[in-house]
Amino acid sequence: MPDGSGHMQPFLDQALAGAADVPGAKVKWLSDLRGRGAAIYGDRGLPGRRDEYWRYTNLNELGKNDYQLANGTAAVDVPPLPHRAVAELASYRIVFVNGRLRSDLCVLDDMPDGVLIAGLGDMIAAAPDRLQPVLGQNLDLHAMPLAALNTAFMRDGMVLFVDSGVSLDKPVHLVSIVVPGDTPMMLQPRHLVVLGDGAKATLIESHIGGSDVAYFNNLVSELSLGERAELNHYTFQEEGPAAVHISATALNLAAAASYGGFILQTGSSISRCETRAILSGPGADCRLDGIYLGTGSQVLDNTIYIEHVATGCRSRQVYKGVLDDKARGVFQGKIHVRPGAQQTDGYQLSRALLLSPRAEIDTRPELEIYADDVKCSHGATVGELDAEAMFYLMSRGIAADAARRILIEAFVGEALSEIRLSQVAEDFSAHVRNWLNTNITLAAAE
Amino acid sequence: MALLEIRNLHATVDNKPILNGVDLILDAGEVHAIMGPNGSGKSTLSYVLAGRDGYDVTDGEVLYDGRDLLAMEADERAREGVFLAFQYPVEIPGVAGLTFLKTAANALRRHRGEGELDAMDFLKFVRDKADSLDINADMLKRAVNEGFSGGEKKRMEILQMAVLEPRLAILDETDSGLDIDALKVVADGVNALRGPERGMLLITHYQRMLDYIVPDRVHVLAHGRIVKSGDKSLALELEAKGYGEYLDAAE
Repeated sequence: MPDGSGHMQPFLDQALAGAADVPGAKVKWLSDLRGRGAAIYGDRGLPGRRDEYWRYTNLNELGKNDYQLANGTAAVDVPPLPHRAVAELASYRIVFVNGRLRSDLCVLDDMPDGVLIAGLGDMIAAAPDRLQPVLGQNLDLHAMPLAALNTAFMRDGMVLFVDSGVSLDKPVHLVSIVVPGDTPMMLQPRHLVVLGDGAKATLIESHIGGSDVAYFNNLVSELSLGERAELNHYTFQEEGPAAVHISATALNLAAAASYGGFILQTGSSISRCETRAILSGPGADCRLDGIYLGTGSQVLDNTIYIEHVATGCRSRQVYKGVLDDKARGVFQGKIHVRPGAQQTDGYQLSRALLLSPRAEIDTRPELEIYADDVKCSHGATVGELDAEAMFYLMSRGIAADAARRILIEAFVGEALSEIRLSQVAEDFSAHVRNWLNTNITLAAAE
Repeated sequence: MALLEIRNLHATVDNKPILNGVDLILDAGEVHAIMGPNGSGKSTLSYVLAGRDGYDVTDGEVLYDGRDLLAMEADERAREGVFLAFQYPVEIPGVAGLTFLKTAANALRRHRGEGELDAMDFLKFVRDKADSLDINADMLKRAVNEGFSGGEKKRMEILQMAVLEPRLAILDETDSGLDIDALKVVADGVNALRGPERGMLLITHYQRMLDYIVPDRVHVLAHGRIVKSGDKSLALELEAKGYGEYLDAAE
């Protein structure tokens, strides 16, 4: 797939080279799907500033390293799992190291009837027919060229199927650990979550990278919720400091389905969490919240596209960012109300706190509405710490750095209070506090 | 040595002169009232003493226990025992009052070389203080001052003062906007804290609070200077005659 100049798009050679002997290479629909991903990515290449929704997040960094697809079979020492409260929570745990399933680290005993939690690679080998109706079905590859790249590689990840009417008794904890070798590696994990009508589940994701070696984690999650299905979804993005983390989530909600997503981003040098949600059935409810904390020269991007197709759906997004030093945040949120999607209730709020004169936030809220009976609003604020509140705290003897931490914690705390699962809330809070204690010091204030 | 000695203090806000040579000596164990018309510089004086940014001292000095108060940051002054009860206490959404006050109290305790109080011990300590002042400690369960009425905010300031046990307390128009019940609570709180080690500056526009807190000295501040000092009878005189003569005299 040349791009016209005779050069192969970055990384594509690796996908094509492995295409013949990748698991499921002989399954026609699957190789067609991979081929479609390769073709679309081959056409588009890495998104750049010419792409409308990539204006603020530059991926030139990816050209600097020769990222090689992780060899999932290499033996590595796996660090202990962080997130104490969540780790101690009774859960079904599925663990990936360098993008490949590590069965020995998984805890998947006693799964109830009607529940399947497995590795995508194993499913491709054992039961590809179960994947065919769902894999790649809700994903707009043209809108997300890196998801097309991921599709070209697709070989492992998590599959979570919950049959109609089944409520999962414990949360599922998806853990992705990256242990880079000496050279930059690339991961292309693909996760698939399908909840049947009335099914209920909680999914917690931890993305952890334990090294300052560069790596590129390009993941795609496809989430499909049947009628009245409910998914609570919590994500910790704590990739290593030299990582590029690109996450594309495609979400489809049938009638009266309910999704609550919460992302805490602190890791990586460049991170983009993009969610495209389609509210396709009447009365669906989609809530997306996030906190991002950046320092150094991090770029943390939250890009959201919500498409209201059916009537009477509700969508809510509240994102809060704290940016210190030269860190940059991006919030792009678009609510798109299709003709006929009457009684749409859409709300979007982006709030950013800039702690340094060199920190930056680019906010781009958008409403595109083709129905006349809708209620949609959005707001964005950018500010510094409140000088009056700082003085009040300091006038009581609280030192400047502690006062800053108190005010920042209060700023993000409102969002944390929405989290229903106490262990997750506890870990999010602890992680935020740890970030503040590490980064918000007197030295940082100067 | 005086607890507080203000010498020829000049200060500007946005390059505008507000204090034009304040002189004042406060000894430990005394309560002084500073009275004056609006715009005389009362609040500026309190902010300069507490160390707020944006108030530039252009001349003069302030000695606290013989030390250069103006060289200290606001938080340092507080840890050294200076407390300002705000005229307009600040609302801080998302910060629980109890957490805030415990953080402050422990910062002071650490500074004094005392052990920190844990959550349980602190709660008991605060409840005892609140009970003795007839203040409802449940206020501390809410975010700092958020949605408080004017009276609740002032009670909260007094409770903080009682918990932090300052050596120098500056009360900036703590009486303004209070009904008689709240005023009594505030006055009782102040009177309970009076002691030989402690000095207080009551900044007020009205004589009313001085019916409940009897000052050792009364100073009149006009156009950024102390223009007259006297005993408590000066406050009554001001109440009767108003500030007119000081406004004219200083023109």
